[in-house]
Amino acid sequence: MKALLKRDHWPLWVVFLVIALALILPAVLPWTYDQIDWDAVRAPAFSGSHIFGTDEIGRDRLARLAAGTRVTLTVAIAAALVSLVVGIAWGATAGWIGGKVDEVMMRFVDALYALPFMFIVILLMVIFGRSILLVFVGIGLVEWLTMARVVRGQVMALKQRPFILAAEAAGSPPLTIILKHILPNIAGVALAYLMLTVPQVVMVESFLSFLGLGVQEPLTSLGILVKEGADDMDMTPLGLMLPGGLLVILLVCLTIEGERLRDIYS
Amino acid sequence: MSIYEIRDMAIEIDGKQLVEGVNIAVEAGQCTAIIGASGSGKSLSCLTPFGLTPGVARGSITLDGIDLIQADAHQMRDARSRLTGFVFQQPLTALTPHLTIGAQLQEAAAQAGPPRSSRHELAQRLERVGLSRADERLDQFPHRLSGGERQRVMIAAAIAHEPKLLIADEPTSALDASLRGEIMALLDELRLERGLAMLLVSHDLASVEGHADQLIVMDQGRVVESGPTASLITKPQKEYTKRLMAASARLDEPAPQLQEVGDILLEAEAVAVTFPRPGWRRGKIKAVTDIGLHVREGEALAIVGGSGSGKSTLGKAIAGIGPLTSGTIRWQGQPLPERRARTVAMRALIQPVFQDPVASLDPQWKVRDIVAEPIKHLQPEILRKDRDAMVLKALEDVELGEDYLSRMPTSLSGGQAQRVAIARAIVASPRLLVLDEATSALDPLVGSSILQLLRKLQQTKNLSIIFITHDIASARRLCHRIVVLDEGAVVETGDMDLVIRNPQAVTTQKLIAAS
Amino acid sequence: MLALVARRLMTAVPTLLAIILASFFLMRLAPGGPFDGERPLPPETQAALQAAYGLDKPLWEQAWIYVSRLVQGDFGPSLVYRDFTVSELVAQGLPISLTLGGLAIILALFIGISAGLFAAVQAGKAADKAIMMFATVATALPTFVTGPALALFFGLWLGLLPVSGTGEGWSWLIMPVVALALPVSGAIAKLTRAGLATVLKQDHIRTAKARGLPETKILFKHGLRPALVPVASYLGPAAAGLLTGAVVVETVFGLPGLGRYFVQGALNRDYPLVLGVVTLYAALIILFNLFADLIYGWLDPRMREG
Repeated sequence: MKALLKRDHWPLWVVFLVIALALILPAVLPWTYDQIDWDAVRAPAFSGSHIFGTDEIGRDRLARLAAGTRVTLTVAIAAALVSLVVGIAWGATAGWIGGKVDEVMMRFVDALYALPFMFIVILLMVIFGRSILLVFVGIGLVEWLTMARVVRGQVMALKQRPFILAAEAAGSPPLTIILKHILPNIAGVALAYLMLTVPQVVMVESFLSFLGLGVQEPLTSLGILVKEGADDMDMTPLGLMLPGGLLVILLVCLTIEGERLRDIYS
Repeated sequence: MSIYEIRDMAIEIDGKQLVEGVNIAVEAGQCTAIIGASGSGKSLSCLTPFGLTPGVARGSITLDGIDLIQADAHQMRDARSRLTGFVFQQPLTALTPHLTIGAQLQEAAAQAGPPRSSRHELAQRLERVGLSRADERLDQFPHRLSGGERQRVMIAAAIAHEPKLLIADEPTSALDASLRGEIMALLDELRLERGLAMLLVSHDLASVEGHADQLIVMDQGRVVESGPTASLITKPQKEYTKRLMAASARLDEPAPQLQEVGDILLEAEAVAVTFPRPGWRRGKIKAVTDIGLHVREGEALAIVGGSGSGKSTLGKAIAGIGPLTSGTIRWQGQPLPERRARTVAMRALIQPVFQDPVASLDPQWKVRDIVAEPIKHLQPEILRKDRDAMVLKALEDVELGEDYLSRMPTSLSGGQAQRVAIARAIVASPRLLVLDEATSALDPLVGSSILQLLRKLQQTKNLSIIFITHDIASARRLCHRIVVLDEGAVVETGDMDLVIRNPQAVTTQKLIAAS
Repeated sequence: MLALVARRLMTAVPTLLAIILASFFLMRLAPGGPFDGERPLPPETQAALQAAYGLDKPLWEQAWIYVSRLVQGDFGPSLVYRDFTVSELVAQGLPISLTLGGLAIILALFIGISAGLFAAVQAGKAADKAIMMFATVATALPTFVTGPALALFFGLWLGLLPVSGTGEGWSWLIMPVVALALPVSGAIAKLTRAGLATVLKQDHIRTAKARGLPETKILFKHGLRPALVPVASYLGPAAAGLLTGAVVVETVFGLPGLGRYFVQGALNRDYPLVLGVVTLYAALIILFNLFADLIYGWLDPRMREG
């Protein structure tokens, strides 16, 4: 963790800055994200108390941006954690037991990989109603596949390493070996892929929300803001450029950091 | 005049001087060998003059009258392609995976210029290096061939354009022990037949001394000593060379004095290990079949065989860290069950040491915790402060000081890491050590010091040892008896010296020829 | 090679069947149906509609009827677009989606591989770093942002390209295809660059160098094919990504492709339509994975034995 703060990790700092702003701004701004200012519909930037102006029904852009970022990132982190837990449990079990069990478990993952998953998620959304909980459970359940594959590969490789055999000869019970030798050695890779999962989830969530299948009004998210902006872009291009730009910046920064971590650990 | 001559060469990489003052000369039809440990600069000295490393060479280098330092790009390509051929260490990876053997051989033959060789000519070249069914192989991809076959293809490709100089960088060290003799013999034969000058690079003195006319010993980027092979071996001048000679085990050296042995400790009877085939295929792979052996108190037993002979699988089954399909292993008459059924008390009797010292230690753990691990589980009654004292004592036994306690494995050299691994193995006072190629991944000097350490520990602690190796000559320095394995079965067993003097099985004869 | 294809096909059929059945039962188990309008229909009308579409039969029987018709190419009637069968809708939409996806992947492969190759040759220099930075950004560009942004810039502001619909000629394809291809080309560029960096360090490249071959020959004859193996294994996920991206692009640019029907069908609970599109998508992805396996085998003969 210390190393992360030391070197030139500007993308990480950008992400932290965005998170901090998303947390602080709603408390500071005079407008809430769903409050309508009847006197200022489609107000340009820097008009009165609206720093980035208002949208087509007079809601403060900055407040909506902050609220949308908060929802998007919350969903992303929660879903990434779901994928982490499921992926590690599945991958580590398959890799540790090996043999036929591994074969069956990984064939299952392969089969799921081959599915048009976004469509299954959309199906789920349609069938079970569009709740934010379902959005991230659905996404988390999709995104664990890569994690499971990576963890399984790591565990398979570690299991062959002589220090695991030496630990067995030293009388360490299997659970101790897994907790003390295996997990600490896959932590780095898991962290890197967790970092790479977050932008993936941001992308999926925004995609669903853009199509009107994800987060529902009155809640907002970056995907919804992009959709609203796209619908109104001939009148106020700012409405598309702000959330779109922020989304791209977040995705780029998270991807750069994630790939850097992955390159370090693998 | 020599075909190839290097005078006072220095090599730099990124401004760092790695090699200096190197002189090499190779005559037509003769072989010059460079010997050195890893990091001695031996490969660098051989490959840099031909632009095959990132290094930059200075000094005087002439090949068949061409000055390689002054050479322009065209002359350099000419020297590289027309005059020299190369054989590298890793036959597995040195051939391009997606091109057929025929295509690669054609490319090699054409490097000195047209015309293209006919299919018949290419097949003849493969036959010349001892490959059967040559015509069929031309259409095969490299992964279909075994390691030895691939190295033969590499050799065929290296001489396909009739070069004057052949550079062989560790041509046999990645091969199975039983194949090494054949490949070296093939190289000798080709060299004499074509009047090739050969520059051979190796870390292993024993494997080249019968083949080289001239020897060059390198250490830390410098030539330590050079001269005709025979005189260098019989009368080494420099201290380093003497130590190197002493470190390389050879079969004609006097038999060592080994300690007295006691009663039978461990006995294995009809041991068999089978693995299920990967995937859904039916059937089993028999790694080990019907093996019987015993080890006495204070005795060292060598288990010798090539790769795939089942020696490691057998060792793991005995040490209780690998599967045991059938058969019985007994400890002083009491049965030792299969891996998961072993109790803590049984585990305390036998401890393993592995080949790759760095992979033997958990990279996340400190040396203190690594060495303490067996005490924690095998002797849980011992208090924490006594545990520390035991760890220190074990480190002392392997000649490492207190300052190693808080080191991380990544900061250790191979030899140091192997000592830590041995400390972990002996800390809980086992009776038997199972050493799986414990010295083979180390440089000769380091390996022989580990071997000495093991002898010392065996005597002071009255340990029994199972020494698993492919190298009969090193095993002879430590072991009383030998068991030779091939394809999972015992092909020969007996007293070490008797077997070496009069080997019966073909496998044993091949292994002895390779030492 | 043939054996590998046969084996893959043998797993592909059950996979496809499993997807169809899973989607089928999921949709039927969900509360609500296609005839829940604003105004509740009288019960007898409901029953008549149910009977007309076979929804009153037991579930497993419906499933059996559905699958057996599917085999004959009959996807059933659309419940929402009442004058059309699903097959007709699919026949309209599929060519558009296939054109979009096909062109996008060709463009992405072309841009990605050449950029990656160029960066690898220039390794460590400014051009390499710039290309890799650009590739990272491109990978992170979601189609639902680039699509509207391109439309805004080239369509509304510059007036160069049509913003909506298929229109005349080919110009309507440019923006959707570019928006789709951008992230994929970025990923391919990165994979190519990384693959080459790994391969160029390998022993067989040194062997080729030792033969005095010219640099370009080493790169193209010995280096490129193994370096593209990661690209080949990315093709499967890329195809899935392109199909999902196409849903957005078709919505943004108002193109009547499969994706639009899928979203409309999903929002209106048009079972046969959604099922039909999911089945087609799954089949396309499986087919594409098979194609990727063939490329894999060509790139690396070791894979042919599978």
